[in-house]
Formats: sequence, structure tokens, C-alpha cells
Amino acid sequence: MTAGIPRILAAAALVWAAASLSVQLALAWRGGRRDYSVRAGSPGRAVFYAFTAGMSPSRKESARLHPGKFAAGVVLHAGVAVALIELGVALVRPEAAPRWPAATAPLLFAAVAAGLYLFARRCFSPALRAMSAPDDYISALATAALLVAAALRNLGAMGAPAFLVVAAGVLFYLPFGKLRHVLFCPVSRFDYARRLGWRGVWPARRGAK
Amino acid sequence: MAEETRNPGGQADDAGASAAREALRRAARGLAAYHFHACVRCGLCAESCHVYLAEPEPANIPGAKAARVAAFFRRYHTALGRVAPVLVGARALSAAALDELVETVYGRCTGCGRCGLNCAVGLDVAAVIRVGRTMLAAAGRVPPNLQAVVDNQLASGNQMAVPPEELRATAAWLAEDLRAETGAPDLALPVDEAGRRVLYLVNPREVKFFPLSLAAAAGVFHAAGESWTLSSRFFDVTNYGLFAGDDAAAARITAQAMDEAARLGVEEVVLSECGHGFRAFRWEGPNWLGRPYALRVRSVLELVDEWLATARIKVDRATNAAPVTLHDPCNLVRWGGVVEPQRRILRAVCADFREMTPNREQNYCCGGGGGMLSMSEYGERRVAAGERKAAQIRATGAKVVATPCHNCADQLLELNKRYKLGVEIMSVVELVYNALAT
Repeated sequence: MTAGIPRILAAAALVWAAASLSVQLALAWRGGRRDYSVRAGSPGRAVFYAFTAGMSPSRKESARLHPGKFAAGVVLHAGVAVALIELGVALVRPEAAPRWPAATAPLLFAAVAAGLYLFARRCFSPALRAMSAPDDYISALATAALLVAAALRNLGAMGAPAFLVVAAGVLFYLPFGKLRHVLFCPVSRFDYARRLGWRGVWPARRGAK
Repeated sequence: MAEETRNPGGQADDAGASAAREALRRAARGLAAYHFHACVRCGLCAESCHVYLAEPEPANIPGAKAARVAAFFRRYHTALGRVAPVLVGARALSAAALDELVETVYGRCTGCGRCGLNCAVGLDVAAVIRVGRTMLAAAGRVPPNLQAVVDNQLASGNQMAVPPEELRATAAWLAEDLRAETGAPDLALPVDEAGRRVLYLVNPREVKFFPLSLAAAAGVFHAAGESWTLSSRFFDVTNYGLFAGDDAAAARITAQAMDEAARLGVEEVVLSECGHGFRAFRWEGPNWLGRPYALRVRSVLELVDEWLATARIKVDRATNAAPVTLHDPCNLVRWGGVVEPQRRILRAVCADFREMTPNREQNYCCGGGGGMLSMSEYGERRVAAGERKAAQIRATGAKVVATPCHNCADQLLELNKRYKLGVEIMSVVELVYNALAT
């Protein structure tokens, strides 16, 4: 199979995902309104804190209490980042071999394992099952498919065309369900931190336990 | 359940579903709707919630509570929610769905915001929950006892319907007592005096049942030589529109106090120790009104902190010898940013001040927030949810719990009894008054 049609498919899916998310963000952003209260703190410092120290287990109880799940989440998302970079490379130069397979393939397989662990947890935890919709499972499997495809391509076991087709499928679904958190999580965190910074709540003070 | 909730709009056709839907549309825009898209339903927020810790069932996981509200958003504001709602857990608004939502957003959440702070991704869970309350307020389904408080505030100017004559009478006898106690002949609790520098808003609970904190504030104001007044018409620092989710009512309650401040010609509005009152007046009020205030608004804690820093009042910490710990009210600290003034004050006026763990913005809700104290139907859950707070207090070994919030004080009094803590609950200003150097 040549990469021509898969490249077009993946590029179209990428454009579709970016455009859809942009529209959704624009619709959601309409709510962003002026705050008439008198500012007491620094929104900029709070946003910086939110994306740095505020993410660490020392500051975030959920990460501290669940180190295994926190680590799995970090590995999963690192793998997704690598897969997306690989997608970008495959779109531009499908004929090029992966650059550092010895480094990226283990990370991608670790990400697959982390993703499957989190997926299994969702399947077997009654609490998580109660709050999950089919989309949660579909999104997890779609992510795993992307990671597996990227890992196989890294090892030379899958060609660029097949990888691009898998990526196109994931990108096409992305704006519809939970996967859109790729955009909305950082945006929400930014918004939340900005508001807490405005009020002088964040960054958290030294001495706070 | 439906007959237990009010429906002032009289939307008999769809039991308020269309009003709720319109409120969802408006509230989602006000919140910035990306918070609805952000939750990944990981469930890691569970242990951050005092309600879940007391009652560890899936319905009490903050993410699950937010998902209940977000289900309606997905149904009407996402593509897949419109065409295949089952796939994304979207749900249509109906009378039954609204009834279930009442329990979720009023009965299982105090809106304390601890979950948001510890959310793996940074979702403002409490804001999503409040959208649920806003929908229910629009549909006329606020729990009746909570709605009654809002109605009182709108009809009488204060939540306990204290008439102006009672406020004046209370101020008069408190002043008399204080003069007798201090020997200061000019000590007064001025009421409706125009041209003073400060309008002091208080919790009607102080006027009606616990006047010691009002007396203490008057004593501290006198010691500082502050020019201040109460209003007999609009003296209430609370705003139950915040808890009900009724922004229109909240705006009216805000406006009546701020208009009174303008009428009296004061320079500043000072808020008594009230967590949600501080949040409502200081942060949400200008946005409910859609304009900035013309006057400065701050907490009495910030004012007293300033007086201590500038030596405008002198204190002797030996007077408060017993070990004191501090409860951080969620709306004052986590939502309000007033974190250090009360600590500086307590270090200045108490010989032995001890922090709880965790503290400051990571504090646990006492369980009485979010209007819970008004909703007797959730009373048992409220007291059970306070067990974590009781354990925190016990661990400090303190004999006095200072709390700069009258709602929290009521809950802590109940926790004190239920969990046999053997502590005294006091406001920060009461401790300052005790420590005033004569």
C-alpha cells in the first residue's frame, strides 16, 4: 500500500479534529466574561503554578494518594505525545524510518500497558463503571490502538500507510467524545487557575499542608 | 420529591425542564463551557471529598456528581449527545431527572471546591455543580427550607427576618453591657448613622442568637477608634442566593446592601466573619450586578490584621492561654483568598496557636457549607460528613476552635456534641476582644 491515500486521510482527519475543536473552544469561550471584582492576586503566577508545582504529587492530593494511577497517566500521555509527533513525521515524510526507535518503542509499549491498566480499572471498578459511558471505553481503546500502531511502526512491524489509517480513525473520533480533553483539560486548568489567581488563592502559600 | 420542591414559575407543562434547559445554556456560557468537556471520569477526586469519605459510594465521587450535571450539557450542547446520547452518557431534562439532580447537587455537595483543587486535570467541579443548582433554581426546585431563607432575605432584608426595631434594641443593650464591662462611656453600637467610614454587615445569627461576636466586634472597633455603623434595614452579610443557585436573587441581595452603603455615605463595607458572605460580596457580587463596586469591600479579618500591624490596637496574647486551632472556611479561604490575616491575628492574640492538617486551601469542609445547615433533610449526612473535621480538631489537642464563619460555627457546635470534642467554638474577633490590652 502506498502512503498517498492514507496521508490524505490522516491530514484530512487532522484538519477535521483541529477545526472541530477550534469551533467547540470558540463556542465554550463565549462564556469568558469580564470579572468586575477588584483583583487581589496574580492570575499569571497562578497559571504558572497550576502547570508546574501545582501538578506535582506534593501539591496535588489525588496524585499523592494514587501514585500508581498517577504514574500510569503520565506514561500514557507521554506515549500519546510521542505517537502524535510520529504522526506528524509520517504525514510529512512517510518514507522516513523512525528516528530513535530504541528510545521511543519502549515508551510507547509502556504507554500501551499503562492505557490497558487504566482501561481494566475502568472495567472492573464498580465506582468507575458507574460513572462511565460507552465513550469512555471507546476513547480508551482508540488511544490504545494509536499507541500500538505507533509502537509497531517504531519497530518496523507496521508501515506508515497503516499507521496513518489508524491515526486518521482516532483523529476523526477525537472531537466527538472524551478525547477532546486533549484541548479542554489544559484550557479548563488555565481558566480555573486564572480565577484562583485573581482572588489570591493560588499559588499556594509556603507552609500550607 | 416533586411536590416537596417549589415551583414559583409555575412551569406545569414540563415541570420546569425548559426553564432548567435555558438556565443551563446561560450558566454554561457564564462558567465557560469547557469545564463540561474536561472531566475524564478518572475518579481520583474521590478522597478529596468529605462527603465521599464519610459515605464512600460512587454517587458521592465529585466526578460522578459533575457527570450528572454534564450529562444535560452533553445532551443539548454536543453533537454526539444529540444523535447518540447513550454513547456519551447524555441525558434529557425531565421532571424525574431534575428530582434526582436535587439530591446530587444540594444533598451530596457543599460546593467546597476541594475536589477542583485536587482534580487530576484541573476541572472546576464545584462550578459545574453550581450550574446544576442554577438549573434547579430556574425550575423552582430549590429545597424548600433553603428557598425560604432566600425568600426571607428578599422580603425582609435579612435571612432571619429580624425587624429593624429588634436590631436597634439588640445594639442598645449590647452597648450598655459593653460600657458596663469596659467602663468606656463612649462605647456604642451605632445604627443607621450616615457619614460613618464603615458599614459593618453581620450575620443575623449574631443579632438573634450569638450576640457575643457582635459585641466583641464593637469592642474592637472602639479600641481602634473606628468610625462605623450598622444598618437596621440591610445589615445581613449572608447571601443564600449563592447556595440556592439563584443569581437573580443573589444580585438583589447584593444590591440592597450596597445601595444601603451608598445611602449611608460610608467609605467602606466591612464584612463580619462569614465565609460565603465574604465570597458573595467580595467576589461574586460585582459580577452578579454586572458592574464594579464604587466602595471597597473587605473582611473584618483584613481590617483587624491591618490594625494589629500598625499597632492601632494593642493586645496581650497571654489572655488567650488555652491552645487554639483554626478552621478554614472554604468560601473565605479556598474561594476567597483570605488565608493569612486570620493566622497573623491568632498568632498575635493567642499564646498557643496550632494548625490543623491539612490547612489553608487544602482544608476539609466542616460539612455545613453550601446551605446544608438549612436543609434538614440532609442533616444526618451533614453531621456524618463532618467526622473528618472532628478528627482534625481532635488531633490538634486544642481547647478552642476559632472559625471566621458563623455557618461553620453552627456545624462545629454540632460536631463538638456528636463527636465529644470538648472544645469551645469562637470567632476570631472574640479572641481579639479577649486579648485587648486595657
